[in-house]
Amino acid sequence: MNNAYLTYAAKRLGQAVVVILLAYVFTFVVVSILPGDPITSVLRNPQNGFSEEEIAEIIAAQGLDKPIIVQLWHSLSGFLVGDLGMSMRSNRPVSTLIAEVLPSTLILASVGLAVAMILAMLVAYGTRFVPKRYGQGLLRGFPSLFLSVPNFVIGLVLIHLFGFQLGLFRVINPDSFWATLFAAIALGIPISAQIAEVLIANLDKEAEQEYATVARSRGLGQARLFARHLLKPASLPVVTVIALTIGELLGGSLITETVFGRTGIGSLVQRSVSTQDLPVLQAIVSLGAVVFVLVNLIADLLYPLLDPRVKILGGQKRRPTTADETSIGPSKAVTP
Amino acid sequence: MTFLSNSALFGAQKGGWAESFRMPLVVVLSFAIIITIIAWSVAPQLFTTYSPVVGVPADKLLGPSTAHWFGTDHLGRDLYARVVYGTASSVSSALVAVVIGVLAGGLIGLLAGFLGGWVDVVLARLVDVLLSIPKFLLAVIVVTAIGFETINAAIATGVSAVAIFARVTRAEVIKTRQATFVEASFLSGGSHWYILWRHVLPNASRSVLPLAVLQFGESILVIASLAFLGYGDPPPASDWGLLISIGKDYLKWPWLVYAPAFITILTVLSVNRISRWLRKTD
Repeated sequence: MNNAYLTYAAKRLGQAVVVILLAYVFTFVVVSILPGDPITSVLRNPQNGFSEEEIAEIIAAQGLDKPIIVQLWHSLSGFLVGDLGMSMRSNRPVSTLIAEVLPSTLILASVGLAVAMILAMLVAYGTRFVPKRYGQGLLRGFPSLFLSVPNFVIGLVLIHLFGFQLGLFRVINPDSFWATLFAAIALGIPISAQIAEVLIANLDKEAEQEYATVARSRGLGQARLFARHLLKPASLPVVTVIALTIGELLGGSLITETVFGRTGIGSLVQRSVSTQDLPVLQAIVSLGAVVFVLVNLIADLLYPLLDPRVKILGGQKRRPTTADETSIGPSKAVTP
Repeated sequence: MTFLSNSALFGAQKGGWAESFRMPLVVVLSFAIIITIIAWSVAPQLFTTYSPVVGVPADKLLGPSTAHWFGTDHLGRDLYARVVYGTASSVSSALVAVVIGVLAGGLIGLLAGFLGGWVDVVLARLVDVLLSIPKFLLAVIVVTAIGFETINAAIATGVSAVAIFARVTRAEVIKTRQATFVEASFLSGGSHWYILWRHVLPNASRSVLPLAVLQFGESILVIASLAFLGYGDPPPASDWGLLISIGKDYLKWPWLVYAPAFITILTVLSVNRISRWLRKTD
């Protein structure tokens, strides 16, 4: 662990914190430009039966009567100490609402990610192992096919085939083992397509390297070559891809939960959207950004440690924190 | 990749056109599908005699047949007609999303890459922020903020794509800016804006085009997802995502899901194939 790496890590950490804070502000701005005053649309809705005093109380509690910049400051400083505010609909802390549904989504997302990784690995392995005439092309077509399928369709097809036709699970009981597994598969397939795409491309590249030729000439079989030589260098860049798919895992769970009738973060988002419960939306979107940024931070920090070839480069890079594209060359080549 | 000056670029394009007649069969097929889809959206009445809105209650939930290619729905409406009439909205909204992404993202990337310095730093942070919010969640809150309509879903999808276009354009601009011919143009007295317009933009746009086509397919999926959740136009609109969403309540009659899903997948698949071909021929 050299000095250059520590500087890189510190810079990257600082950048992550700034991005998270800005993402919070951005979400706040988007949420506050809602047309139609949330106060009138929600609180004065006769269906909710709030009295005038109650409305005044809620407005005061949420700080909705203050200027927007004060509200932002209030909200942001609360967020920094872990206070996500109160839901406007149920009058309960947002953090409680989220904590209630989080486990279900975490299970779905982690099983989904596991499914995605296993599937991607199998497909990538298949492209090296299955001969051309036995459907290698089919396996190579897998990523592009499943990147073209909306993930709610995958869910519906699974429900139709395995739920309705084979009777493996019932949508009425969404937390059963099979229902969870199939929900995870529906969530995982589009993500596995992304991972497989990168993995296959990397494997192809590695297989052409000289060391692979040498290994083959030593008489190594396809399976050993794959496991001993190709897999490790090919899967290193996948770490970054997996980190990038975390956002899709979150967005995808929104749809998958709707399709499979699960309660979770996704269904909470749906409910909050239809009732315009802004504090809940604000909290979930910013937490989504926090998770995404942290996972990518970890991936970026781990990468130089996993792949020694990058570490050397990382020490040389003057600005490793900005977008990777700068590494193409010095950015001040033209000075008119 | 080589950098050609503008006149050379046109020459290369001419050669490129001759080349393009030798496109693979799958690409030809993809173009045929896309042309059909465009025809559906421009003149749906030419492709079906059924009404997408008024159904025959006696004919409800019929299976696919020669009379009703995709079967009929729970109100006895011809599903093929509904898919055909829903094409315009599904496809044009994806187009709106891509245009927003390309214009806003392209502008950000162009300014960041070309001006550099603090402009680059500020815009790079903005892009980081946009990237940090999960794309679909971003689209959901934007569409919540501006209202549940298909056009708003398109705008939301476009906003969530801005960051990607900004990144790619910026990278391309930086790459081009360092090319020798740009330096030569500076030395021979070209102004900033002239070079930006004449050299940097055409070169950057060459790698933005395949991405835009790819994003078009992606936008169809995202807008379908938003419509599926009910954030697009309400029925009797017949956006593909909405059709699938209605169909999910009638899984006993699976063609209500499979037919619109099949068309969606076929379209996106064709678009993606064309994008890949464009990238390769570049």
